[in-house]
Amino acid sequence: MSQTEVTYQKKELPAKLNKIGLILLAVGVALGVLGFFVDHTRAIFNYLLAYTFLISIGVGALFLVTLEYVTNADWSVPFRRIVEIFAGIIPFLAILVIPLLFNMHDLFHWSQKEVLATDKVLAGKAPYLNVPFFIIRVFGFIGIWFLFYFFLFRNSLKQDKTGNQNLTTINIRISAIFIPVFAITLSLTATDWLMSIEPHWFSTIFGVYYFSGTVIAALAAVTLAVVLLREHGYFDKRITNDHLYSLGALMFAFVNFWGYIAFSQFMLIWYADLPEETSWFIQRWAGNWAIFSILLIIIQFLVPYIALLSQPSKMNPKRLKFVAIWLLFAHLYDLFWIVIPSMPGMEKGYIFSWIDFVFPIAIVGVVILIFNMLAKRVNLMPIGDPKIKRGLDFHL
Amino acid sequence: MKVDYTTEAPVIQERLSLAQIQELVAKPLDTKPDKKFFIALTISGSLLLFGAVLLAITFYKGIGLWGNNEPVGWGFPIINFVFWVGIGHAGTLISAILFLLRQKWRTGIARFAEAMTIFAVMCAGIFPIIHLGRPWLAGYLVPYPNQHGMWVNFTSPLVWDVFAVSTYFTVSLIFWYTGLIPDFATLRDRTASKIKKSIYSIFSLGWRHSNRHWQHYEKAYVLLAGFATPLVLSVHTIVSFDFAVAILPGWHSTIFPPYFVAGAIFSGFAMVVTVLIFVRKIFDLQSIITLNHLEKMNKVIIATSLMVGYSYAMEFFIAWYSGVPEEQFVFINRAFGPYAWAYWTMVSCNVLFPQLFWFRKIRRSVPAMLAIVILVNVGMWFERFVIVVTSLHRDFLPSSWGMFIPTIYDIGILLGSFGLFFTLVILFTKSLPVISISEIKAVAEGAQPSYHGGVNHE
Amino acid sequence: MNNGRKIFGVSALFNKPDDIINAAKIVAGKGYTEWDVNTPYPVHGMDDAMKIKPSKLGFVTLFFGLCGTAFALLLMWYTLSVDYPLVIGGKPFFALPAFIPVTFELTVLFATISTIIAMLIFFFGLPRNNHPLHNTDYMKKVSLDHFGIVIEAADPKFDEYKINELLKSLNPVSTAVIYEKEKVRYPIFEPKFITFLILIAVVVSFGTYLTLNKLMYITPFSWMDEQEKITPQSKSEFFSDERGMRLPVEGTVARGFIPYPFMGVEIPDKYLSNPFIPTEENLTLGKKKFLTFCSPCHGNFGNGDGRLRGQFPNPPSLHSTRIRNFEDGRIYHVMTNGKNVMPSYASQITRDERWAIVNYVRVLQRAENASDSDIEKIQ
Repeated sequence: MSQTEVTYQKKELPAKLNKIGLILLAVGVALGVLGFFVDHTRAIFNYLLAYTFLISIGVGALFLVTLEYVTNADWSVPFRRIVEIFAGIIPFLAILVIPLLFNMHDLFHWSQKEVLATDKVLAGKAPYLNVPFFIIRVFGFIGIWFLFYFFLFRNSLKQDKTGNQNLTTINIRISAIFIPVFAITLSLTATDWLMSIEPHWFSTIFGVYYFSGTVIAALAAVTLAVVLLREHGYFDKRITNDHLYSLGALMFAFVNFWGYIAFSQFMLIWYADLPEETSWFIQRWAGNWAIFSILLIIIQFLVPYIALLSQPSKMNPKRLKFVAIWLLFAHLYDLFWIVIPSMPGMEKGYIFSWIDFVFPIAIVGVVILIFNMLAKRVNLMPIGDPKIKRGLDFHL
Repeated sequence: MKVDYTTEAPVIQERLSLAQIQELVAKPLDTKPDKKFFIALTISGSLLLFGAVLLAITFYKGIGLWGNNEPVGWGFPIINFVFWVGIGHAGTLISAILFLLRQKWRTGIARFAEAMTIFAVMCAGIFPIIHLGRPWLAGYLVPYPNQHGMWVNFTSPLVWDVFAVSTYFTVSLIFWYTGLIPDFATLRDRTASKIKKSIYSIFSLGWRHSNRHWQHYEKAYVLLAGFATPLVLSVHTIVSFDFAVAILPGWHSTIFPPYFVAGAIFSGFAMVVTVLIFVRKIFDLQSIITLNHLEKMNKVIIATSLMVGYSYAMEFFIAWYSGVPEEQFVFINRAFGPYAWAYWTMVSCNVLFPQLFWFRKIRRSVPAMLAIVILVNVGMWFERFVIVVTSLHRDFLPSSWGMFIPTIYDIGILLGSFGLFFTLVILFTKSLPVISISEIKAVAEGAQPSYHGGVNHE
Repeated sequence: MNNGRKIFGVSALFNKPDDIINAAKIVAGKGYTEWDVNTPYPVHGMDDAMKIKPSKLGFVTLFFGLCGTAFALLLMWYTLSVDYPLVIGGKPFFALPAFIPVTFELTVLFATISTIIAMLIFFFGLPRNNHPLHNTDYMKKVSLDHFGIVIEAADPKFDEYKINELLKSLNPVSTAVIYEKEKVRYPIFEPKFITFLILIAVVVSFGTYLTLNKLMYITPFSWMDEQEKITPQSKSEFFSDERGMRLPVEGTVARGFIPYPFMGVEIPDKYLSNPFIPTEENLTLGKKKFLTFCSPCHGNFGNGDGRLRGQFPNPPSLHSTRIRNFEDGRIYHVMTNGKNVMPSYASQITRDERWAIVNYVRVLQRAENASDSDIEKIQ
C-alpha cells in the first residue's frame, strides 16, 4: 500500500458566511417574535419542532462520530471533523430550550394541574410526566450529551497536534459507552418532546422512529457540508466520489430504515385497531391532514429512495447535494407532521399560517452561525488521526 | 493495549500463499472422516432419530400429545419456529449486510454462516407445518386456483410467514449456491478423482474464472446482498407481526419488528460462534478464522444484546406509561407471576451475561465465550417462551387462565430439531468447503494489485 | 504440435496481480476485442484495465423486481377484492398496508431468481462444460493461484506469432497455445443410450402412475372418518333387519313440536280456545299471513273473490252468518285440518300464526258488518 502524506492546507471560510447566518437568524427571530404575538400557541409549537430539528442534527451528528469510532471505519475519517462541528450544536440546545420551558402549559396538557384532576390516565403518568422531572431530564440529557461531545471533540483536536494513537483508543471507549446512553436519552427525549404532546397516546417504537429521522438529518447535513466544502476546495484533493458514495449509501440505508420503522408503527396500530392507539393516526388523517400524511410517504421515503437507488447516483455530487437538502427538508416535514396536528385548533385539518415558515429560516441561520464559529477555529480534517491516510486511500 | 490504527489488521493470520490457503480449506473434503467425526455424527443422528420417532408418534396419535392447551394454543412449535428462524438470520447478516458494509473479515465465516442459515430455516419450516395438526393439508396455504373456489387470506400474518420463510429459504439457497460456483470450479480443477470431478463439473456449471464473468458476478453479488438485507429484516419482522398484529397485551407492541430482528441476529451470532469454535479447532482453521473474527462477532453480540435489552426496558416503560391496566398486568405477571423463572432466565442470559463481553479478555477467551454464547442461545429460546406462554396463559378473562406444561413429545421434537441441524452441519463440513476459497484468496495479503489505493484511480 | 486442430487462442500466465493488470492494460490498448482474463478471484481494478463497460445486470433485476411487485398486487387485488371478497377484521377489501409484506417478498423473490438465471444463462452462457479452456493446464493454474490472459482466435486482429511475441514481452511465467476441443460424437442409437432412455421412461411412468393413482389417494390419518358409531346407510349387526338407520320409537315427539290431536275430527270447538289477545302486533302478523296464504282463494278481504276464482270450486265468503258464528277454534281447526278442497296449512303456517289469522278474520268480519253507531263511537 503506497501511502502519501496528507496534503491538507487550512483555508479560511468566506467571511460572508457569517453575515448570511446572522441575517437569516435575525429575520427568523424577528418574524418569530412577531408570530409569537400574533398567534401565541402556533408560534410555540413551531418553535418546538424547530428545536427538535436541532436536536436531531446535533445529537445525530454525535452519534455518527461515535459510530465511526466503534466500527473502526476508515472511509469516514476525513470528514469526521465536519460531523464533530455539527455536534457542536449540543451546548446551544441548553440555551435554545428556555423559551419552550416558559411555555410548557401551551405545549403539554399534562403540565396543567386542573387536567390531572379529571383525567385518571394522565394522573397515572404524573410520576414521569411532571414539570420538575421534565426539566431535570431536559437539562440532564443535554448535560450528558455535552460531556461526551466535549471529551470526544477535545481528544480529536488534541490529536491534530500530537497524532497520539492512544487518543483514538480512548475515544473508542468513550464512544462504546455513549451508544447505549444515546439510545436511552434519545428515546426519552422523543417521548418527552414529541410523544407527550398527545399524552394519551403511546408507541414503543417511537424512540426508534425519531432515531431514524435523527440519523437521516445528521447525515444529510454532513453530506451537504462535505459536498459544498469539497466543491470549493477546503479538503484534501484525494477525497473522491468513492468517499461520497459511502455517505450516499448510508443515507439510502437510513431512508429505508425510516420507511421500515414508520411502516411497522403504522401497520401494527392500523391492524390491531385499538382505540387508545389509533387516535394519533386518525388525527393525522382528519380533513386535509390526509394529504399531508400521504405527502410524508412521498417526501421522506419515495423521492429519496428513487433518487439514491442506482449506484452512480450515490456518488454523483450534484445528486447528493439535492438529496441532502431534500432530506433535511423531509426531516423537518416529518417533525411538522408529528407536532402540528396535535396543536389545539388543528382537529379538523390544517389551517394555513405564515408562522409555519418562519422558524426554518432561523434554524438555517443558527446552524450556519454555529458551523462557521467552530469551523474557523479548527482544521476541517482530523489531520492527526492515525486512520486518516487509510481514509484518504479508500476506494470502492 | 497498544493498537496501530494506521494500517488495517490483516484478515488472515500468518502469511499463507494462495495455494496454502486453498489446501487448508479443501483438505477436509479429500481425507477420510475420522473417529471424532463419526462420534459427533452419531450423537446428532440419535437426537434426530429420537425427534423423528416422537414426531411420527405425534402424527399417528395427533397433536393432543403436546402440552398445547386452552388458553396456551401456541406452545413449543411456535417457540421453536421463531427460535430457528432467528438462528438463521446471522448467516444472511454476515453474508449480505457485512458485505455491504465492506467488512472484509466476513469472508472467513460467510460460507459457514450461510449454510447454517439454510439448515436453520429448514428446522424452522418444520414447526408451523406440524403445528397445523393435519400437515398434509399444508398446501392450502399456497394461493392456487382450486376446487373450493377459495383463496388464501393475504391479510393474515400466517400467510405472510409462508411467503417470507419460503422466499427467505429460496434466496438464501441461491445466494449460497452462487457463492459456491467458483469454488466448485476450483475443486473441479484440483481433484484427481474422476467421479468427484464430474460431480464438481456439474455443479460448477463450467465456470472459467473469467474476468468478464467476475464483473457481472460481483455486480450480482452486490444486488443479491442489497436484496437479502431488507429480506432478512422483513422475515423476522413478519414473524414478529404474527404476534404484534394481535391485540393481546404482551404481543401487541409496535417495537416488535426491530426488537425481533435484533434478537434474531443476537441468537444467530451466538449459534455461529458456538459452531465456529469447534470447526476452527477440528479443521485446523485457526489462521483463517482467527480470534479477531470471534472477537468481532462477540462485539456484534454485545451490540445486539443491548438492543434486546433496550426493547425489554422500553416495553416495560411504555406498558406503565400507557396507563392500560391489561398491559401493566401482563408485564408485572411476566416478572413476578408463575413464569417469573423463565423471565429472569431470559433477562440474565440475554442482557446480563453478554455484558461480560465489555472486557477484552473475555471477548478473546474461547472457553468464556463458549459459555456465554450457549447461555445466549438458552436465553433467546426462553425469550420466545416468555412471549408465547406468559402472554397467553393469563388472557383477558381470568376464568380462562391456565398453565402450560410441555410433554416429552414437545421436548423430544425440539431436541430432534437440534439433531437435524447439527447433522446437516456435520455433513456439510465434510462435503463442501466451509470457507469460500475464492473470497478468502481475494483478501489474502498481496492478492490485490499494489497500485490500487493509489492516487491514479478515479 | 498442431495435430490439425483449430487454435482457440494464445494464453499467458502470470503470478502477480500487478503483472496481470499491466498485461490487461496493454492488450486492451492494442485494440483486441475477443480476449479475456482468468483469475482465481476478482482482481480489483481489472474492469478498468480491461476497459469493459459497467454491468447492465441491474436493469434485469429492476425490471423483474417490478414484475414481482405488480404480480403480487394484482394477485391479491383479484383474489381478495374481486374473486372472493371477504371482510376480514373490518378492513377494506383492498387492504394495502396488509398487502405490503407479501408484495415485498414476491418482489425480492422475482428479482433474485431472475438476476441469477439471467446472469448464468444469458450473460455467461452457462452451463457449459465443453469450453476449450476446460481441462487445460492453464485452467488448473488460474483456478489455483495464477492469473491468465487469453487472446482468442476469433479476434479480427488475431495473429498467432505476433500475439505470442506480445505476451512474452509482458514477462509471463509461461505462454501456451490452446486448441479447440475435438468434437466428440454421441450417436443417438447407441444401445447404451437407448437402454438409458427406456429406463428413464419406465421410472417416470411408474412414478407418475404411483403418484396419481396411489399416493394421492392415501389419507394419512382419518380418525374422523373411522368412528365407532353407525353412520347413515351402513349396516348394523345389532338389529335383526340389519338396518343402520332406525325409525324413532312410536310416540316420539320431536323437540318443540306440539301434536294436534284433532286431525280428521269434525268439530273440536270446545277443546280449542284462542290463546292470543288481538293486539296490534298480533293483528299485523295475522294480516301478513292472511294475505300470503288465504287471500289467493278467499280474497283480500275474505269475500271469496280471490285471484284464483273460477279455477277451483269457489271458496265461501268468510262474512256469511254461518261462519261469523263459528267459534275461534273452528276456524283454527279448518286451517289446520283442511276442509273440502282446502288442504291443511299446518305445515306452512305455524300454530301461533294460525291463531293470529283467526284474530284477523274476526277483524275483517267486524269491519264488513260495521254499523253507524260504530262511527259515532270512534268520533
